[in-house]
Amino acid sequence: MNSEPSAAATPQDLNARLQLIEEMISEGRRSTQSWGWTFLLWGVAYYVAIFWAAWSVNPWSWPVNLFDGNHWAWPVTMFSTAVLTLVIGTRRNKGKPRLAIGRTISSIWFSIGISMLLLFPALSIAGRIDHHSFIAIVCAMLGVSNGACGMILRWPAELASACVWWCASIFACFGSEQQAVTVFLVAIFLCQFVFGAYAMLLEAREQRAHGAVHA
Amino acid sequence: MGRSMPELPELDPVIHGKLRLALMSLLAGVETADFSWLREKTGSTDGNLGAQLMKLEEAGYVHAKKRFVERKPQTTYRVTEKGRKALAEYVAALRKLLGGMID
Repeated sequence: MNSEPSAAATPQDLNARLQLIEEMISEGRRSTQSWGWTFLLWGVAYYVAIFWAAWSVNPWSWPVNLFDGNHWAWPVTMFSTAVLTLVIGTRRNKGKPRLAIGRTISSIWFSIGISMLLLFPALSIAGRIDHHSFIAIVCAMLGVSNGACGMILRWPAELASACVWWCASIFACFGSEQQAVTVFLVAIFLCQFVFGAYAMLLEAREQRAHGAVHA
Repeated sequence: MGRSMPELPELDPVIHGKLRLALMSLLAGVETADFSWLREKTGSTDGNLGAQLMKLEEAGYVHAKKRFVERKPQTTYRVTEKGRKALAEYVAALRKLLGGMID
């Protein structure tokens, strides 16, 4: 690329520079970071925690018992998944630019994550938690983070995911314990696995389409 | 009396270079970016890119931060307030010039 301007700039040259500015600004703003895998990872983590806790009580009972089994199932799974997310995220997004929108979205998830990591152990120690309130709070919090991100990104798929979480949250308040756990498992499948796979597909498509834009 | 010619603005020579303009525009769209990403997006050589970034840094338009990531040196760049203002003025001058040429 020639870095120096010609002495006499023509209208075509000036127009080309305006186009270059627009193209480069939009290229910089286009999110190149990939986070779809985190939905799949956390989906696996929720299922592992649920079935680990259930397995230690009675593996064949239904509904699965979310807390009365191994008390370490949830804290250990959640904490190790949080560490894994940070490590893999840093490695996968190494060398990619930092965007203001990326910082906004990660701040939302980070805050929600800290809230859950503090609230649920406290409720559990205080003995003030049951299946209904646990599922309702988790689903509402995940609805908040997905809803906020969907609105920031103007992404209907993530807003739909937020709606599924919110519906599951409301349902957990009214349905039976068995129904609440079933709805929770279905919501995890839809919002973590299906949505995560869809997000990864879009990211792969985006990366193929905009791998490099040479100035 | 003849009508006086409208005064056309000068284009900032630091930004006007094609690669420097691309770098300023890329950095304007992000918070920070590292050297390898800028090289990938502009398709320029290490030497040329380093030299142009140095010129932008000397003009106070770009701020460079050096650090070690996994024991490898990494330089990240961000546009300064002065740089953002210069780019905005450059775009305004460019538009004015183009308007003047069309008139």
